[in-house]
Amino acid sequence: MKTYIAQRLAIAVLTLFGMSVVIFVLLRLAPGDIVDILFASAGYVNAAEKQAILKDLGMDRPYWAQYIDWITQILTGDMGKSYRYDLPAWQIIKPLVPVTVELALLSIVFAVVLGVPTGVISAVRQDTTLDYVLRVVSLSGLSMPSFWLAMVIILGCVTWFGWIPPLTYVSPFENFKLHVVQFVLPALAVGYRSSALIMRITRSSLLEVMREDYIRTAWAKGQNGRVVIWRHALKNAILPVVTVIGIEFAFLIGGLVVTETVFNLPGVARFLVQAILWRDYPVVQNLVMFIAIIVILSNLIVDMLYGVLDPRVRYGS
Amino acid sequence: MTARRASIIVIILAAVLALVVSGPAVSQTPKSGGTLNIMQREDLPQGFAVHETGTISTSWPAMPCLNNLVFFDPLKKVESLDTVIGELAEKWSWQDNYRNLVFFLRKGVKWHDGQPFTSKDVKFTFDMLREAPDAQGKLRINPRKDWYANLQNVEAPDPHTVIFHLKKPQPSLLLMLASGYSPVYAAHVPPASYRTGCVGTGPFKLKEWRKGEFVEMVKNPDYFVKGRPYLDTLRYIVIVERGTRTAALQAGKLDVSFPGETTKTTAEQLKKAVPQLVVTPYSQNVNDNIIMNVKKPPFDNLKVRLAVSHAIDRRALVQAVQQGGAVVGASMAPKPHGVWGLLEKDLLALPGYGKPADEKERARKLLAEVGISPGKPLKVEMVTRAIAVYVDMASFVINELKQIGIEATLKQVETAQWHPMATRGDYQIGANLTGIGPDDPDANFYENYSCGSPRNYSLYCNEEIGKLIEAQSQELDAKKRTQLVWDIQKKIEAEASRPILDWKLDYFTVWPHVKNLIPHQSIYNFGRMQEVWIDK
Repeated sequence: MKTYIAQRLAIAVLTLFGMSVVIFVLLRLAPGDIVDILFASAGYVNAAEKQAILKDLGMDRPYWAQYIDWITQILTGDMGKSYRYDLPAWQIIKPLVPVTVELALLSIVFAVVLGVPTGVISAVRQDTTLDYVLRVVSLSGLSMPSFWLAMVIILGCVTWFGWIPPLTYVSPFENFKLHVVQFVLPALAVGYRSSALIMRITRSSLLEVMREDYIRTAWAKGQNGRVVIWRHALKNAILPVVTVIGIEFAFLIGGLVVTETVFNLPGVARFLVQAILWRDYPVVQNLVMFIAIIVILSNLIVDMLYGVLDPRVRYGS
Repeated sequence: MTARRASIIVIILAAVLALVVSGPAVSQTPKSGGTLNIMQREDLPQGFAVHETGTISTSWPAMPCLNNLVFFDPLKKVESLDTVIGELAEKWSWQDNYRNLVFFLRKGVKWHDGQPFTSKDVKFTFDMLREAPDAQGKLRINPRKDWYANLQNVEAPDPHTVIFHLKKPQPSLLLMLASGYSPVYAAHVPPASYRTGCVGTGPFKLKEWRKGEFVEMVKNPDYFVKGRPYLDTLRYIVIVERGTRTAALQAGKLDVSFPGETTKTTAEQLKKAVPQLVVTPYSQNVNDNIIMNVKKPPFDNLKVRLAVSHAIDRRALVQAVQQGGAVVGASMAPKPHGVWGLLEKDLLALPGYGKPADEKERARKLLAEVGISPGKPLKVEMVTRAIAVYVDMASFVINELKQIGIEATLKQVETAQWHPMATRGDYQIGANLTGIGPDDPDANFYENYSCGSPRNYSLYCNEEIGKLIEAQSQELDAKKRTQLVWDIQKKIEAEASRPILDWKLDYFTVWPHVKNLIPHQSIYNFGRMQEVWIDK
């Protein structure tokens, strides 16, 4: 297991290196830079002033030198300075991280709480009316883009109740109730889509397991139905579900852009889009690296969980 | 009593009752206190550094923190020389036949950090803006340097007097100084610090700027106007998503919309949902226009440019693209929204303002004279910014041009590329939007039509028009100046280097408890919030 973890970590480092090159190059391939944007807001361009700003920001140096600077900064725990805000990038990124992580976690919790039980019920009651209803609900979740659902929720709230969730971040230490209110609706909007996927995977995986001989044997022995399903069948059917949960979580960290935007939550994803539009290289590069680390870590955790959940899985042995 | 007489009496009684019950806002006694939640469509692009940007997204939230020497009276709708009031300058005087403008500054004014405000600050600011060789401060971007090209020297003979020495008379300099784009910076802090904070003398002090979330300002207890501001707190809440912004206003989470943000359709929807909302249509001082590169074929040919101008049905554009939320006009905002607009009869004589069928026929004739016909169409690339309001307008224009034998393909350009491309003249024809600070010919003509100006995207240069621009700028007689401004507008449209298509209206929306927040005929000049109060 230790060897496996070491191998995975080594691959993770290589992946991060590759990511750093890709994001660095892609950003510079995009047309325009921060100085163009600054001039755009002024409505003109002056070549001499532009050159002076490029020099001031260190953007007149060769790309390889800029790349080495960035990597050196990362390794020394320095994230550089935001071009747009003229402040250390970490100072800007730091308050965004907990918002996105909390929203992603809450969404996944909703997704699991909704998806796994409904998946089990749907499998156990296969081809009954309840199964059909749950499958339609699940299909709706998959077909409905979360941004659309988010906007419908906002518009529904304002039309029917004349109310919308808080527009600025409410800290849980400041007002816990309002904090929960602020996060529940976006988490539901996102979690619903993920729950649909989890429900379908749970259902199909459970149906497959329930056809296994050992389950038939358990039924034949007169085991309690709940024990057979929840203890024997689900335990063995859960592996693909865990994989999906891991992938969904990783996806959510970077994929909450629209939900954060619609609900006006000051998270990483929304800020990333703004930073890209502003070509704020230090912020974008570091945010993308942060997302990459989360994705790699969540994949690693999923792989570790395999070993915990399934004794047959023994890595490195 | 006849039924008719009875109904007349009922109507009169109802009218009297309505007057008594509602009462005009001005007769109400302002109340102190409260928080005003204000819409902000994006995070502040350059912090509070108004002098380094041209966007309302910076100047709107920065305005309550800062002061000008003079300002447009926030309680009057129309901006003109008659509505200019003193702010940091208690009074002013033109001397030496409008060559020297002397400002007598208020005494006892303090910056938000407690430092005294003096004439040094004024000299520092305007030397920096005109890029004087001995200027103490330097801006990294200076978009309005042209405004101060006529400023020869700024003298500060004593701490409370400043003299602006002009190269030649320029009465409208006062209007530019009254714009929201002309605040006075503190000399004792670096100009760059305004990108991250705000040391001003204004009615509100910056309390917190949470990046991407909100800007909070609190009442300045040392403000030099006694009893002002009325409000305790201003919160500019950043909401990037348009639908959420509108929903927040409808739900009452926001008290005030963002200038230039509310279209006619949105305003109608809001009014339908919340009838008590107060909607005020006014000119944004922003126009849609077509830029044609006069240095490159085919638009170096006046006939081709004129054909384009003739072909575009402005009124149809207003209805189709702006849903009626704009008005037609030449290069100065049309009356009654603007002061300098052409009279209707003059407007009708310009290319593109006649009957659409006749105009298109004229356009085809002009093109035929240079060998272009539907059988042998002219193929061009129409560039525009990749933003919906630009693209919608460009698409309409492309369709109009197709009808006269010009086949244009649309190329959308990202914001980052738009101004470098336009300034370089790296295009043939483009659909553009132009915002103008104060409704004044100097602010508009020098920026957009004078030879060599970086915002003169058409690269148009006409000595005769240049002389006329200079003449109107120096003209002291208001009537003569107006006539000159009208002549310039007619000539500019006749040259068709940058035909104006329409002037956008904003439908500024506030909740009825918001008092004294009166939009002017430019979105850039009414955000000081000094007089605003809440009736709750």
